[in-house]
Amino acid sequence: MAARPTPLETWHATVPAALFAGAVALTMLAVHPVIAALSLAGALAFSLGARGVRATLRGLRWQLPMLALVCLANPLFSASGSTLLLKLGPRSVYAESLAYGATMGAVMVAVVVWLEGASTALTQDRLLALAGRRARALPLVASLAAQLVPQMLGRARTVRAALAACTVAGGARPTARHELVRTSTMLLSWSLEDSLERSDAMRARGWESGCTRTSYRPDRLRARDAVALAALGALLALCAACAWAACSGWRFYPRMTGLGPWWRYLPLAVLFALPSLAAATDGGGAPSRVATPGAAAPAGCGRGAR
Amino acid sequence: MSALELCDVTFSYAAASGTRTAPVLRNVSLEVPEGAFALLVGATGSGKSTLLRLAKPEIAPAGELVGAVRVLGRDARGMVPRDSARAVGYVFQNPDAQVVCDTVWHEMAFGLENLGVPEGEMRRRVAETCDYLGIEPWFRARTAELSGGQRQVLSLAAALAMRPRVLLLDEPTSMLDPLAEKNFLSLLFRANRELGITVVVATHAPEAMTDVATCAFELRDGEVRAASLEELSRPVPLAVPGGRSGEAPRAGAPLVWVGNVWHRYARDGRWVLRGLDLKVGEGEVRALLGSNGCGKSTLLDVVAGVSRPQRGRVRNAAAAGQALLPQAPKALLACETVREELSEWAPAGGYGPTEVDAALEGLGLAGAADRHPYDLSGGQQQLLALEKLLLVRPRLLLLDEPTKGLDRAARERVACRVARARSDGATVLLATHDREFVRAVADSVSLMFDGSLAVTEPAGPFFASSWLS
Repeated sequence: MAARPTPLETWHATVPAALFAGAVALTMLAVHPVIAALSLAGALAFSLGARGVRATLRGLRWQLPMLALVCLANPLFSASGSTLLLKLGPRSVYAESLAYGATMGAVMVAVVVWLEGASTALTQDRLLALAGRRARALPLVASLAAQLVPQMLGRARTVRAALAACTVAGGARPTARHELVRTSTMLLSWSLEDSLERSDAMRARGWESGCTRTSYRPDRLRARDAVALAALGALLALCAACAWAACSGWRFYPRMTGLGPWWRYLPLAVLFALPSLAAATDGGGAPSRVATPGAAAPAGCGRGAR
Repeated sequence: MSALELCDVTFSYAAASGTRTAPVLRNVSLEVPEGAFALLVGATGSGKSTLLRLAKPEIAPAGELVGAVRVLGRDARGMVPRDSARAVGYVFQNPDAQVVCDTVWHEMAFGLENLGVPEGEMRRRVAETCDYLGIEPWFRARTAELSGGQRQVLSLAAALAMRPRVLLLDEPTSMLDPLAEKNFLSLLFRANRELGITVVVATHAPEAMTDVATCAFELRDGEVRAASLEELSRPVPLAVPGGRSGEAPRAGAPLVWVGNVWHRYARDGRWVLRGLDLKVGEGEVRALLGSNGCGKSTLLDVVAGVSRPQRGRVRNAAAAGQALLPQAPKALLACETVREELSEWAPAGGYGPTEVDAALEGLGLAGAADRHPYDLSGGQQQLLALEKLLLVRPRLLLLDEPTKGLDRAARERVACRVARARSDGATVLLATHDREFVRAVADSVSLMFDGSLAVTEPAGPFFASSWLS
């Protein structure tokens, strides 16, 4: 099966990073039903396009119950509001309280869906490329850890399967706790053994050889990216102002009032729709990245064997 | 000028107690001319890796070195890591352990970044190397998604991107299947002939490389001598006393019966087993041959009951008395010492210290009973894991690539042990690429293709009518 293309790949990683960071921050900070609904709609639209219908629905299978749970649980903790819907013993359930819970639930789900979407656009190597040139060990440690985790999980399956297949040793079948200790000890020894060879492989290729490291950047920040970042910054500032105004005017209790003019939400709608629109237009006519020579190397290193 | 030159080199490892161990290399002298494709042949533990590492000071073993090791005319001990990394590339044996970064592009650039190569120059070298080795289609892939063969090609590429003049490779193809091995060797051959890089390959299986090699050296008992490429290319069958019966397998009731089995790992994945039928008679040694990814290991898992097929039936009369040797013996080695390892299943197997001592003696590990299993060689680890299984006397023994990465002596010992298990009444089902091993031990052979068995025949007729050697 062919892998899905990375969405927003024609932009430098800083652009989607700023876009998703802005969307998530505004969603988290603005507890407002319209903003939460817009954010959730935008996050779902992006997820459907970038991750596919199946993956999005698989996520919603637990996210929607979570939303419902938060929505229904809120009246139990906060019996506020003026529109009485029903009485559960000593507790009164008000429409406003349910609406507050639904908004909080929508905020939580929207943030999760945004982060899921962001992880498809900001793959680990793109994120690490955002790290500064001087951050030498961090990308490498993250890179090693990224390999280690799936490798250990795979090996854990192999170890368990090997033990399960040896039914002839059934009398010696360990308890669950013993098996956990046995498997983790084996995996640790195995990984430590590998790490000896890996550290040799690193040193054989000049790690700690005394040169100042340079870095290979698969993505380059171009004028188009800089313009997009500036425009995005302006949009985010406008959205923040609108969200501030919307949240200041809005009241859940005792009665939901203060929605304000519709155009106050327009910049936010644009922001939340932007990832989907950008991803949809990504395929056609976006300029391709062409490698160009970069920065100069420190004297004495780099101009090595030819 | 010689690319690699050893003059009267004697090397002993440093012992933990400060005492000196017996020399691994004794008065070794050899000379590899520039542009050569040299083979360094010898059994596991003969000192091949030690010799190669002495030419790479940043990974040279600790110990006492007498004599001179010169690389491109310079004393290796006098080379700083930076110069050594530039001039000498090194490819290790294990495809899993030597990849450092999680993406192909980062792995390619890793060495160049370490040497501070300017970004423009780095882009050129990475691009040229990828073009040359045909890596571009998977340049943006994650290294965890690559096959063993691709990982090894990536390690070669990452070394070549640094434009070394000498390339040292330590058993680079021993963990690969035959097809991946040929692909790797063809790339190595091109690098040698077209780019003029001197290649030195340490190997215990030189047969596949003698066509491309220009010279060979054999290491035995710490001493080196020039070897004849013609002699090395001659296939020698494995010597296994009491091996294959030569007769058609006994037509008893099948111990394992698999009928119309379909299996895949994910709902939207491809079918790995497609309507597969298999019968293995009691006391039979059955070999499964087939290319990588044809489903051999999956079939073993299905027979063992570890994987449940989506369709079809599996009947295994030895389901309660079976044992499986996985591809990596480390998946079975769980204890701190060799002796504890062999004793782990003693209560279930109903054996005691006497049997463990006898097994240690048989393995030639009586002197290493208190060592950690990881301190043994790959072949010894495999034999230890196999012995651990055989001590509990399984009725059905499932072996997944039991000779992968092993040298000739270890393969012969594994074959002898399998033959002995057979004569003790065990039924054996083994998956392998090693045709020589199959010739030596199997009663019958099944060729797997496209998720099912293309042909099943007694070993004699199978090899007589096989197109492949």
